[in-house]
Amino acid sequence: MKMNHNRPEWYIARSLRVLIGQRKDLRWVVLWLGGLSGVWLWDTFFLNPLAYELIRSAIANTFYGALAAVALSLSIGWALGIALHFLEERKSRGPHLALIFMMSLLRSIPQIVGLLIGYILLTWMIGQGILQSHASQILWMAFVISLFCSLEVIDLVTERIAYFRTLDYFHAMLCCGMKESRIINVDILWKSSRSHFLHKLVSLFGVAILLQCSIDFIVSVGLSSDVSLSNFPVTLGSLLAKLDSKQDILAMGSMVLDISYLPRILFQHLQGVTVAFVLVFTLVCIYQIADGLMKYYDL
Amino acid sequence: MSVLSYDISISKHNRSLVQIENFRLEENHITFLFGESGIGKSLIAKAVYGLLPPEELQISLNGEPYVEYCERNHTQEIQRNSFFVFQEPSTHLDPLLTLGAQVEEGTLPQKLRASGILERLWNTSDQELLDKILGVYPKPYRPSGGEKQRFLLVMAFLKIDLLLEQMDDHARTMFVFDEPSGSLDNHFRDVFLSFLLEKFEKRKFTTLLITHDYSIISAVRKADPNILKDISYKELSLGRKGLTLTDFMPDNYLKWLHGQKPLRMFFEAPLSPQPLLRVASGMEVFGRRLVLTNMRAWNKQSALEIHPYSMVYLKAPSGVGKTTFAKAIMGLLPARNLRVALKNLTLTEQTPRNIWRTRVWGKRMTITFQHADEALNQQSTVRGTLSGLPRHTMTEQEILQLMAEVFDCEIDDRFLRTKVRYLSGGQKQKLNLIRSLVLDTNILILDEPFNGLDFRSIVQVLDILKERQKAGKGILLISHNEEIFDAVVNPEQVYYISAVPISQEKKTASV
Amino acid sequence: MLSILVIAAVFILLLAVIDTEGTDNQRTNEAFIDSLVQQQAIDIGNPYHRSLLKETLSLFSPNERSRNDSLLQALESYRQAQFTKTVHKSGGNRQGLSWDTLYDLAGMYYSFILVYLVVMAASYYAAQTWAVFSFVKRKQQASSYLEKFVSHSLSVVASLRNHEYPWGDAGRCVLFLFLAVLKGLLALILFAPAYVIAYSMKSTFETGGYIFMVLLGVVSNGLLMNAAYQFYTFLVHESRKGYVETAIVKGLKNSYSWNTPDGISFRSLLKWKKTFPAHVFHHIYENARLQYIPTMKQHASFLITGLIIIEMALNIQGHLCYELLQNILYKRFDAILLIIFGIFMVVKATEVLVDFWFYTESQKYENES
Repeated sequence: MKMNHNRPEWYIARSLRVLIGQRKDLRWVVLWLGGLSGVWLWDTFFLNPLAYELIRSAIANTFYGALAAVALSLSIGWALGIALHFLEERKSRGPHLALIFMMSLLRSIPQIVGLLIGYILLTWMIGQGILQSHASQILWMAFVISLFCSLEVIDLVTERIAYFRTLDYFHAMLCCGMKESRIINVDILWKSSRSHFLHKLVSLFGVAILLQCSIDFIVSVGLSSDVSLSNFPVTLGSLLAKLDSKQDILAMGSMVLDISYLPRILFQHLQGVTVAFVLVFTLVCIYQIADGLMKYYDL
Repeated sequence: MSVLSYDISISKHNRSLVQIENFRLEENHITFLFGESGIGKSLIAKAVYGLLPPEELQISLNGEPYVEYCERNHTQEIQRNSFFVFQEPSTHLDPLLTLGAQVEEGTLPQKLRASGILERLWNTSDQELLDKILGVYPKPYRPSGGEKQRFLLVMAFLKIDLLLEQMDDHARTMFVFDEPSGSLDNHFRDVFLSFLLEKFEKRKFTTLLITHDYSIISAVRKADPNILKDISYKELSLGRKGLTLTDFMPDNYLKWLHGQKPLRMFFEAPLSPQPLLRVASGMEVFGRRLVLTNMRAWNKQSALEIHPYSMVYLKAPSGVGKTTFAKAIMGLLPARNLRVALKNLTLTEQTPRNIWRTRVWGKRMTITFQHADEALNQQSTVRGTLSGLPRHTMTEQEILQLMAEVFDCEIDDRFLRTKVRYLSGGQKQKLNLIRSLVLDTNILILDEPFNGLDFRSIVQVLDILKERQKAGKGILLISHNEEIFDAVVNPEQVYYISAVPISQEKKTASV
Repeated sequence: MLSILVIAAVFILLLAVIDTEGTDNQRTNEAFIDSLVQQQAIDIGNPYHRSLLKETLSLFSPNERSRNDSLLQALESYRQAQFTKTVHKSGGNRQGLSWDTLYDLAGMYYSFILVYLVVMAASYYAAQTWAVFSFVKRKQQASSYLEKFVSHSLSVVASLRNHEYPWGDAGRCVLFLFLAVLKGLLALILFAPAYVIAYSMKSTFETGGYIFMVLLGVVSNGLLMNAAYQFYTFLVHESRKGYVETAIVKGLKNSYSWNTPDGISFRSLLKWKKTFPAHVFHHIYENARLQYIPTMKQHASFLITGLIIIEMALNIQGHLCYELLQNILYKRFDAILLIIFGIFMVVKATEVLVDFWFYTESQKYENES
């Protein structure tokens, strides 16, 4: 049958093929979604329903938390970056120094320690009857993660403003009668830095997943004694810390010495292997997507 | 005399950057290449020289892949025997090596002291000064842009000397000078040109000189007639059919130039008693006092005045502070002893920013900055650049008409939707100008208004400025294009600016 | 310096306040649970009584399910602890900081700093070496193993159609596929969180040793990849700058082939102090290296996060971060504060040292005023 090259579907398919072939970021998005779909399909056939349900919730909670962390990082980072700029402009030394000091303090605290403190506060709040729902608990942890991730967004905002201030761009816009707040928010940050923010947010998504899973893993080892762990929302990190997942991952190491163990890994140790694979594969894909964005936008 | 011909195609991410057929270069000839900024002159020169990165661009030269072209003996010979002086000298020197170390690298002959090139280009025999320069690490503000440019020229002349020593008449060469006079004032530009022509006279070599500075034609005309026959002028232009290379008639430029007269001579009305703008001399910026003088009183400081229906020209050697002065009187830089008088409004360094914003910027005064690439939002569209302006008295129809005049083409929806970053350098400069013209302020400050424009566009823009002048506006021009503005501006309206370091003043005062 | 002084003051204040409060809180909690356990009417060991207690709590506090469950669990744990004395054995009954505890913590802190320094140095070297390698590959425009596998496969298929048997090409196909899979696995390992790698290796290797910890600290959590990528971007940005073009036209070597007269020596890539004499890349590398130094302050924070994750997640006893976890578990706030302050000081010391290093390096290229 001859292909009708005039049909719009053919053009769309061809454009998509060309686009994905040329753009690394899109290619890896497709790979990522394809990988997750492949895992989902495999688990549908070979994983028991209980474990399947656990994994499904874990993935949903993890991605929800990471997305919330990214959204909060953007909001906090943008607001504080602008605040820093205007405080410096208006020579409000006190508030400016205070903000710089708080940021410097946050930078000096390793992220995981900050998240541990966040978890301690969370367990205390749950013990007091606040934040009872899983969604609110995930949102709280996302907020704590965003406090550390927003530092990178603040740096990006201040760097972009500083870059345009060294050019005639800023002065040229002022001399056309435009308001400074509009120049900064719309022209510099929105119109001229969208690609930078997109790249940054994609990277932060990966960082948020790594931090969230790491802290959940550590906490699941047995941190809280006031609040039952079975009531924390399940995430990839906490699922990885469960005994059966640990055993599945232990089994992966056996493959190093005995490659014939591979079929058993794929059929019998599926829970832990799925969790580990989804986590690691997501991190690899996020890194490649961020790299692709950097190449495409020449950042 | 053989002619080299190139069919060049350069693209990035499947977007065509340069597409030209039959780009011709005469061997052992000096070719001046004019043309609007941003249409690809530098890219073409780099492509022919073999400098472009094949991993980032899709390039083909005469139908062959670029990697193969670069490996050809012809290209390798050119690279061995020649040199390329790039524009923007500030980024073309390694900040981690002293200037002296940089000139001793690679295949450059280590004969700098014996060659006399430094002495010639710096116009001095003070060895201590020259030693000091050689020991400097190139930083943004030291040495000056002009000195950095001269240093790159030193490297080129060292290579020329090496070529002269080889005495091989058949050696293939291609010396490229990309905007060599961009950072030089007229004096050092002439020094460079005479030096180059001297070397050329001894032994001919292929030279491509890319420039927007049409006044270079007058400087070259002073050379030995024997050399003039080996000099040609070409222009690269971007039309509907793409890039084309045509012969440029220098006489057209000279004829036009000699036909220019200051508008004041046609317009006999006396200068109005109250100027639109008056700036007192002696403001202090970045540790220097900027002193203004005028031909009416050479020995005395003079306040700069811009009256209605007048064009004022501010002159100074490169690096003195013309742009700094313009930014200071617009309230964009902190300046001490600032006294700017507009009608019913006096501005000083104490004036709150709010007053500048609500009563001056875009309302009474506006400024067009010299680098259109920096002054425009590259991500915005042509329409967006103009529609985003907060206040203007012109209707949309009038704006489109002005654009048609300046761009000299039909302004259709497709053009209006084009992103600024996809415009050529000349188009960006025109858009930069239009943005200021649309605001229709009484005072217009233009910093290097002809930057990046070809001859035809210069003529158009100048005509538009004259129209504005006739309409009663006051225009302050800042440019190193002295030849053109000296012809167009009334000598009484020419001001000179000099910068005196305040520390030096204090020392002199204490003595 | 100001932040160090302020935080030190805050920590000392908190240490003085929380020390007594923590002990008091601990006693108060234990007293409450003890009173419940001692109730004559309830036998916590009896599952039926436990169910009744659970239902009673649900009746009185229907909206505090989590808290009710936690209380029951605490009761059970306390009862077991009293029976087995496991809390006493693990040191959970320790009250406050003693000289012995301080001495132990000092030893753990010292080994933590040593591991941190070794991992930092190893990451610095590995990141630069990897980045330079990637940059040279980019310049060589080498296609990936997967692309080579695909192109060789197509040529094998074409040859087979012509009834030819290209054993060489087939062998190369297999080799490239193997290398591509190996590269993929390497990527997965480099991005895997430390606990995933450690747990998978637990049955095969000794994972509690210092060497494994250092390896894990360098290789896992994506730290090496991110640091290498950052240096790589500096190299790419520098390679686009004007002085590189000037270096090329001056006739410096510009080939990126391995071990050729005009190219890059593989041996110089592996050296700690990398130099590429008379090559354009030397300019690029030196400028990128100078810019990379300040970014190590950010890496310090990530690196310590990685080490903390490793120590906590793997429950490596006798290490500082495992000790931190234990202290959090048993709510010994004074020890927690001291350990966190110690970690904070490591980060701050890194910042000061990196700033000093950058200042010293950049001063070499400053002009006399």
